[in-house]
Amino acid sequence: MLDTLTFKIKRQNNAESSPYWENFVIQYIPNSNVISCLMDIQTNPVNSKGEKVAPVVWQSNCLEEVCGSCTMVINGKVHQACSALIDKLEKPIILEPMSKFPVIRDLIVDRSRMFDALKKVQAWVSADGYHDLGPGDSQSQSVQEVAYKLSECMTCGCCVEACPQYTKDNNFLGAAAINQARLFNIHQKGNDITEQRLDTLMQEGGISDCGNAQNCVEVCPKSIPLTESIAEIGRQVSGKLWRNIFKA
Amino acid sequence: MDSHFILRRISSLAGIVPIGLFLVYHLYMQLYLHSGAEIYNNEVNSFYDSPLATWALIIVVYIPLLLHSIMGVILVFDNKIQPSYTYFSHLLYWLQRLSGIGVLLFIIAHIWNAKLGPWIEGTWGTHFEHLSSGFTDPETGMITKTVYVLGVIGAVFHFSNGLNTFCMTWGIALTPTSQKRVRIFSYLVFIFLIVSTFYALSAIW
Ligand code: HEM
Ligand code: SF4
Ligand code: SF4
Ligand code: FES
Repeated sequence: MLDTLTFKIKRQNNAESSPYWENFVIQYIPNSNVISCLMDIQTNPVNSKGEKVAPVVWQSNCLEEVCGSCTMVINGKVHQACSALIDKLEKPIILEPMSKFPVIRDLIVDRSRMFDALKKVQAWVSADGYHDLGPGDSQSQSVQEVAYKLSECMTCGCCVEACPQYTKDNNFLGAAAINQARLFNIHQKGNDITEQRLDTLMQEGGISDCGNAQNCVEVCPKSIPLTESIAEIGRQVSGKLWRNIFKA
Repeated sequence: MDSHFILRRISSLAGIVPIGLFLVYHLYMQLYLHSGAEIYNNEVNSFYDSPLATWALIIVVYIPLLLHSIMGVILVFDNKIQPSYTYFSHLLYWLQRLSGIGVLLFIIAHIWNAKLGPWIEGTWGTHFEHLSSGFTDPETGMITKTVYVLGVIGAVFHFSNGLNTFCMTWGIALTPTSQKRVRIFSYLVFIFLIVSTFYALSAIW
């Protein structure tokens, strides 16, 4: 039976400083998760050398794998810290911030690039204005069944973190944004700007940056069929390519 | 639409038509090795009887291949290596890149060995004799055979797996079920082409 746990954490004091590794040894508690252990470290921020240090910081909110804010790289693989159960992890446990985003501090990264990608593909229903638009159109059962799964995305970043084609120095929008474009392209009201979304996805950083490694679909904690979404958008842009060639 | 999108799509298409079709045709031709020197040489040389032969080769093979290779070499370097994600399709992603580079080197060696070399020596036309003497040469035969075996495996893998990713890129196979079907189909293509080519090569082993 374990009575202590060692954490090896990649820390960074601010966006400009360089990262360093620090170990922490804490009391083992059955059924704990990575966030509860980080809380333990926070209450008593003493590293394995016995020095009192600044507490390790991280982001979290829902604690039930729906907000995506606690995403980090745990033992080399990206996962939500709140649902990463200590009993299932290899020890020592190695925590790193995601590698595809700028680090703000310790385990906190800036995922703005993902939100910018959602803006670029206009992942919304463009109903605007204050006037009464009346009741919305109803969604058919068959569309609803597909859309519900796609809509579960929490913009956590797992898919892009694991994607070999998403790098710090390119502009790839990533699987999450491609999936959201698909979601709003099948929405009975959102589909009025389908063509604009496809235009964006046919630019640099769009669908052609995907190299079919399919890591995204493996790591998505919401089991969203991302490769199906990529193929579906691939089909939609194939159609648009055809139309552009012969109807221009 | 920007140039990145269009170039990627053209290069993806080029991998199947015409280069992929050429590969299948080219491997099929090798079965004539079993018909002996005269028939094999005739089959190969008769292609060059056509006044369009050189042009056809340039347009159907060399230009698309050059384009696809340049795009391919760029793609090999435009990514981040992430070994901790040990998924099968991630392995295929890297094998696609590795085999692409291997095939590029093989094609250069192959064109030199089977075309430019004999041309320069003035022995071009006696393909069967050239190939079989290369394979059975007591000193370099083993190396030649190894290069050909690796080259064939690499090219056939690259083409078969390419069929797979092609169907995803163009949105031909959408659902996980249809993507699995395409994958099984690509395994069959791989096995079929490998068996057929090794059977062909057995004639001059
Ligand atoms: C000459 C050197 C070559 C290099 C460096 C190369 C490189 C590559 C690379 C990196 C990819 C991956 C692209 C992606 O995943 O989006 C690829 C795809 C592909 N290659 Fe090649 N390749 C070469 C030759 C060939 C040949 C000879 C064939 C035909 C047999 C071929 C057929 C394909 C096909 C069908 C694809 C899939 C296209 C797609 O996913 O849409 N390649 N190649
Ligand atoms: S698609 Fe999945 S992995 Fe990607 S951001 Fe959404 S929930 Fe996370
Ligand atoms: S299929 Fe591969 S390359 Fe494409 S988005 Fe997913 S992980 Fe990235
Ligand atoms: S805290 Fe919300 S997903 Fe972990």
